[in-house]
Amino acid sequence: MASDRPVREAENRLEKFNADRERLLSEVERRVVARKVADAQAGGDSSLEYVLNDVAYCEIRRLEHKNGAADRWKDLSRRLLAMSEDEKREELRRLVRYYGQDVVGNFDPRVYKFSTSIGPSLLGFVFNPMTSLREGMSTLRNLDSRIHADGDLDVVHTCAERGTIVVTPTHSSNMDSPAIGFGMMRAGLPPVTYGAGKNLFTNPFISYFMRNLGAYRVDRRLKFELYKDVLKEYSTVLLEHGYHSLFFPGGTRCRSNIIEKHLKLGLLGTTVTAYKNNVREGSPNKRIYIVPATINYRLVLEAETLIDDYLAEVGKRRYIITDDEFSRIGRILEFFRKILVHEGSVVVRFGRPLDVFGNDITDDGESIDRAGRIVDPASFVRGADGEVSDDDQRDAEYTRALGRRLSQVYPRLTVLHSTNLVSRALFDAISKNAGTRDIYRLMRAPLGHLEVPVAVAIEELVRLRARLREHPEWGSEHPVYANQTTDEKLENGIKGLSSYHTNAIVERSGANLQVKDVKLLFYYQNRTAHIPPEGSS
Amino acid sequence: MSRADAIGIVGAGQFGSALASVLGRAGRRVIIWSRDHAVVEAITTKRRSPRMPAAVLPEPVSATADPRALARDARFIVLATTSSIVRERARELGDVLDGSHIVVHAIGALAHPMNERVSEVMVQGLPTLKVGVLAGPALPADLAEGEFSSMVIASAFDEVVAEGRRLLNAPPGLRVYGSKDLVGVELASALSGAYTIALGLADGLGMGPGPRAVLVTRAVAESSRLGIAAGAEARTFAGLAGLGNMLVRASGERSADYVLGRRIADGIVTGDNAKTEGARATIAVLELAKSLRVRMPVLQGLAAVLTGKLEPRDAAQLVGDQVAVEE
Repeated sequence: MASDRPVREAENRLEKFNADRERLLSEVERRVVARKVADAQAGGDSSLEYVLNDVAYCEIRRLEHKNGAADRWKDLSRRLLAMSEDEKREELRRLVRYYGQDVVGNFDPRVYKFSTSIGPSLLGFVFNPMTSLREGMSTLRNLDSRIHADGDLDVVHTCAERGTIVVTPTHSSNMDSPAIGFGMMRAGLPPVTYGAGKNLFTNPFISYFMRNLGAYRVDRRLKFELYKDVLKEYSTVLLEHGYHSLFFPGGTRCRSNIIEKHLKLGLLGTTVTAYKNNVREGSPNKRIYIVPATINYRLVLEAETLIDDYLAEVGKRRYIITDDEFSRIGRILEFFRKILVHEGSVVVRFGRPLDVFGNDITDDGESIDRAGRIVDPASFVRGADGEVSDDDQRDAEYTRALGRRLSQVYPRLTVLHSTNLVSRALFDAISKNAGTRDIYRLMRAPLGHLEVPVAVAIEELVRLRARLREHPEWGSEHPVYANQTTDEKLENGIKGLSSYHTNAIVERSGANLQVKDVKLLFYYQNRTAHIPPEGSS
Repeated sequence: MSRADAIGIVGAGQFGSALASVLGRAGRRVIIWSRDHAVVEAITTKRRSPRMPAAVLPEPVSATADPRALARDARFIVLATTSSIVRERARELGDVLDGSHIVVHAIGALAHPMNERVSEVMVQGLPTLKVGVLAGPALPADLAEGEFSSMVIASAFDEVVAEGRRLLNAPPGLRVYGSKDLVGVELASALSGAYTIALGLADGLGMGPGPRAVLVTRAVAESSRLGIAAGAEARTFAGLAGLGNMLVRASGERSADYVLGRRIADGIVTGDNAKTEGARATIAVLELAKSLRVRMPVLQGLAAVLTGKLEPRDAAQLVGDQVAVEE
């Protein structure tokens, strides 16, 4: 039984990851196999035959067009009927081990030390192996100063010492992983392990660093339950062993740039399971803390692809985009050169941590209920006689409550760049011209409706900034530029909106501003979508 | 009997006492918490609550003025107070509960003064997230007399529903159904009080079975529309908490809301003096309907009477004209 200690020894646990690796994998294998075998007693959809057949069926469907790739699964499918229960258990064990190895990450302290000492210029080299190291270095020498990290850092530090933290940021770009990595480094927070889409591992350089800096692979093409079980169990075991983690609760990148409201709770649910297991093991003080965070870009690398995807296929959008700006090295370099040279181009803001049930915490990391009383988090998983009870539906409901809390917290943590504010001011103005806020109608609006006198834009911006100051729950302006005059803010926003994307989003034409790309204007103003139009709040 | 098998009841009013009575007769261990020492004394010595003398409280029922005793001895707790004090009680109770407790309320109204659903207020005041609602056509007098009664318990947590059904089911005196539609059951229950006033008005004005049937069906239709807009299931409003509640309250003169409707129709009282839970729910739910942009002509007509803007007969005419659109 583990000791009931406040986890003061919450050192950079990733440093010992390699030594732990086999133990973690074996634990995942043991638990998943034991649960599947126990569930199989109920027969039907839970039988081992069904579980194995589900894997074989999904893999055959996925691989049937690749020469010979599906043969292994066809063979399994053929053999299934004749297999004894022992053979099925053995096959299950092999598959769990196989997928576990596919998922599991690595942490090389030498790589971590190298990357942190050379600093983010390394990132430029990683992203741009075709150019010389010198050029990459000179372009990106001070990238980390471009990333501003702030928020409730003292409490986050306390939580990282006392227990295990799970950072849960908003997700709008494939740049998010490095951005939050550097943000955490700047904030003096320990490195985290995180699940990253397997598609991000296709670039061998990125793959090398991601794998060695704690990332584990999530293959979203694998739809069968067994894979999801392995993935969730791996995350659970990591948390139980005190590995700080990172989940993007929005799942995939947010296509619209609206702050996420509907969160995918699969991996987030592993926090409740891991804490429950800690309590069961007699260590209720091994706390797990959820750290909400927002990653706020002045401009988003993949904005064009994302908003096109959102508008074209609202409700049935592609889940994995593999052909966006992130896959084009030149575009990434351009993004670095043009965008990240701007001071504070990315702001990572960390919020006050929550416990795994969505309760607030004190500065010391004690859970408090909505009325401000200290509450024992272990009681949430205990039954009438104090025993730890298993109830998946209850735990899922707790996770939904946590998700609701996160989506309530995100707007307050949002940092609005001049690009967002100017986009919103212009969007409000052209909406008034056209008599609609409907994006599809605005995209077809006559040019005259898309023209806004500078004086009108400034008036809109003045009112928007004033409303924002009155409502801190809507977020705040970029801390470095909060004292800009409105003229400066407008100028700065227009410069951003006309500098990086293929076409300028807005252009100055004498005393007027002409909106040239309504879709991207909509995208950048969407970061303020939680701010109601004037007169409706 | 273990803590897991005990039921705590907050409040020794009519419903709390009647529920304790039916559960006590079924041999369940019940602990009533009342802040009033005289009530605790009466229950302990006379086996009756002064607020519901008709309900005999047999031996397994005990009473305490100490909320810690309630929290210690029962994990499953029924909050049976009025809507006006629910916020205060939840906060007091919250001082002694933890995350393992289950709390369901039996309040057919919205909470003062913000007109939130009672479960929302409970979550603000209690440490536990496992909350639910108990509602349905079980009048205190019927429960006390042992008439066949049924209620529905709803919660987002399956555990709350399962525990509620295990502990509160006491056939034939009380049968408990389960539902996941917490929002629907709370809104249906609160609205049934409002429509009960409307039925009292209709009966008081001497309307026949035809208009009465129209009133009932339109009430179910418009409350279902509201429910859908608020994230509830339409069928809940035709169930025990909605239609069931409405029908039982609008029979005889045992519901304060129904009596209010009849008295307004008779000109004995004016609407602006109306202080029942149903009257409060009428105004509160109408606000909700406006914010959700749901058309509720029956409720609107009733609100006009209760705020003195229309005479009952004029309101009936107006409602009749407005409801006759697509079924």
